[in-house]
Amino acid sequence: MSTTTPFFFPREYSFPPFFTRQTNLTTHHAQLIKWAALVLAYCRHHRLFKLSLSSAISDPLSSTAEPTSDTTASDLFHNRQLNRRLSLADAREVLDFLRRDGRVEPVDGTTGDVVWVYWRTPEEWAGLVEAWVDETAQRGGVLTLYELREGDATRGAEFHGMDADLLQKALGVLVKRGKAQIFGQEDSLGVKFF
Amino acid sequence: MFLKQIDLTTALRPSYLPDEDLLFVQDNVGLYEGKYKLPDQQNGQVYLTSHRVCYVDKAEPRKYSVALDLKDVERCEFYAGFLKSSAKVTLIPKAIKRSSLGPRSPGFAPGSGTSSPGRRNDSPIRPPPVDPPPASATTWVCTICSFSNPVPSNFDPSTANAHTPLPPCLTCGIKPTLTHVLKAAISTAAGRQPGGPVLQTPLPVRPRPLSALGGSHINEGSGSAAPGAPRPSSALKTSDPDASFQCPRCTFFNHPSLLSCEICGAPLISHDIPDINQHIRSETDSPGPFLSKPLSALPPSLDSPHNSQPESVKVSFRGGGEKIFYERLKSSMTQRKWLLQGAPPIPKSGDGLANGTGSSSGPGGPPERVKIAGIAGLEHRGQAMRKNNELVIGNAFEDLEALMASAKEIVALAEKFARQSAIAGDPNNAFLAESVSQLGLITTKDIVGTSGTSGSNSLYLSELARNLAEFLTDDSRGVLRRAGGIMSLVDLWAVFNRARGGVELVSPTDFEKAAVLWEKLGLPVRLRTFKSGVKVVQGRDRTDETTIRSLLAWMKDLHEFPPEREVEWDWREWGRGVTARDAAERFGWSIGVAEEELEMAEERGVLCREEGIEGLRFWENFIDTGEGKTMPNPAQEASDHLIKAMKDAGMI
Repeated sequence: MSTTTPFFFPREYSFPPFFTRQTNLTTHHAQLIKWAALVLAYCRHHRLFKLSLSSAISDPLSSTAEPTSDTTASDLFHNRQLNRRLSLADAREVLDFLRRDGRVEPVDGTTGDVVWVYWRTPEEWAGLVEAWVDETAQRGGVLTLYELREGDATRGAEFHGMDADLLQKALGVLVKRGKAQIFGQEDSLGVKFF
Repeated sequence: MFLKQIDLTTALRPSYLPDEDLLFVQDNVGLYEGKYKLPDQQNGQVYLTSHRVCYVDKAEPRKYSVALDLKDVERCEFYAGFLKSSAKVTLIPKAIKRSSLGPRSPGFAPGSGTSSPGRRNDSPIRPPPVDPPPASATTWVCTICSFSNPVPSNFDPSTANAHTPLPPCLTCGIKPTLTHVLKAAISTAAGRQPGGPVLQTPLPVRPRPLSALGGSHINEGSGSAAPGAPRPSSALKTSDPDASFQCPRCTFFNHPSLLSCEICGAPLISHDIPDINQHIRSETDSPGPFLSKPLSALPPSLDSPHNSQPESVKVSFRGGGEKIFYERLKSSMTQRKWLLQGAPPIPKSGDGLANGTGSSSGPGGPPERVKIAGIAGLEHRGQAMRKNNELVIGNAFEDLEALMASAKEIVALAEKFARQSAIAGDPNNAFLAESVSQLGLITTKDIVGTSGTSGSNSLYLSELARNLAEFLTDDSRGVLRRAGGIMSLVDLWAVFNRARGGVELVSPTDFEKAAVLWEKLGLPVRLRTFKSGVKVVQGRDRTDETTIRSLLAWMKDLHEFPPEREVEWDWREWGRGVTARDAAERFGWSIGVAEEELEMAEERGVLCREEGIEGLRFWENFIDTGEGKTMPNPAQEASDHLIKAMKDAGMI
């Protein structure tokens, strides 16, 4: 999913020391905060829901492989203009910092190579979906997940085009709250809102 | 009281006179004058040098430190101490000579600037023996008729200038030039010294009428005594008719009642000066003969000033070390190094090369120089100089005595060689060679007192600390300045030991311990330990804040001046990263110090780092711009921008 407007990196992105782990604790903390904000803003702009750390860091040789998957964020940790990049360990530290903030979650278990980036948390997504359901008066109706993600009805809503797994997570929140129920098979999940 | 106040170095040690050597140091001593303790000088260090005994007070070194010249010491006595009374060394001053010997002591003759008399703590009664040279005794020889004219009595060589009126020659009436008279005055003043003892021939005491002088105007009195011829005449009415008066110029023994020499016509007034002094004393004391008698009836406070003999000074050794002090004092009193000051160089043995050169400056006789000119002359001169050097060295090392005799020359020669070789080498060597020659600062374990095992060691360390501080702060050497105001302890250790010329090296342990003492001793340098454990030496006035300020100023400059090559980032906004090497070059630090300073600034959050292929670089900290705290930066940045814009516009 590509966007037309380019992402405006923050000022620090062009500051070479920004890509080096700072040893001074206060500076380091400030650095983490700035990186975290940058990661979230970047993912939001590019509507990235997952981030693959290894592919984001270990840039596959050249820029030809750039638009391979939607988890690539090759220029997030790598400033080609400056020829500076954040090391894997440092990027992991940034994500770890975000995780503690509840903004990042490992996708599958503890290996943590691919992570969810919650520039909106599942709860927030759930709120959005619920609000949309209310707005469009679909309470009591049944929708497939595909309809929610790709259907014409949701065009314009923020969760349009959203990652399926994340949507499922968000709906899971609603289920827990007793606002929805998910049923169906693997590929054709449906959801009923109450 | 013959104690004088002294000047101290930055490290609160006595500043030495030229040629003065430190012989011994002992702490925990007190001073007595006569029987009484001096209240302000009860705890300090005593420095025995070849010329002086200096006392440096521990509490108020700048105020109460005193010294006495060994040349004023008649003899010294040793008292071993008894029960609670500590061992003492008594220094008994010479009886103050009011005789004609006074002006001849080298310190006071005009033109011989050997020892500075310094500030004297003299009691008002004892006048400083500054006698103006007996003016009428000097003569100048007329250049026209070669008649010996007397120099006018009011002629003072030190103040004379072109406007001083000079009387014409008595015979031919031609006025002399000022320089001529000046030269004559000075040469007679200088020439009198060696000839001094001649004038000391037993003279009859000539009591003078009491009305002649006011008690306190000795200086004016003696000055005005010279022209006033009638006064001596009255003084010369002596009871002893056999006493004769030797003419200072032609040594003819004149009758005492004569005013001028029978043979050469030189005035005989100069002899009157001791007389006046004697008279003063007898007047203030008692109208008796000169022989000073101790007035035991007087209270001690009055006794000391009235007594012509100043009080002896005792040095009380409460921390031991008195024996060595006494031994070295005795030996230095025997050696009398102060007499060597300004002594003419050792006369050279009768060889053709050194003849005719009174001083060691110009080798090669004058006639030779006249004959040969041009390049050949220069070559010849060089050769002569080399030969002379060879000769000096050869003579000096013939035997030990000769070596000692010509020590001064050899040292001068060695220094010259060192400098020459240093010129060929790098400047660092020159600096070292310079240091060696200037090192009067030999603090050795040998010198300091050995009172107890621990005590002596601490004294050694504190002396070493002072020594180091002097070494560092000495302006002529500028060790610290050269290193950008900061240098690592290891570097200093190396430089210091090299400056010592390979003898009496200081062990690293002692060195470090001494450096730690700086803080305690209140010396103008301080030891600083960086985060990494690197120890550096810097001036007391240099703090982290000043360093950071200078670093930041530098960083700001980097926003203004474009970097040498193209950079990927906007250098106007971010400036440039600097390496420790850059900083070292910029501030004159050593690389290690630069690293530490940069890291210190990073630690304070002023700088931030960038590790890249090109190594570690430091940048102005734009990462931590104060998020989470207050946001002071926008305003700051705005003002920065404004300033920058104004600078760009050329307004600033």
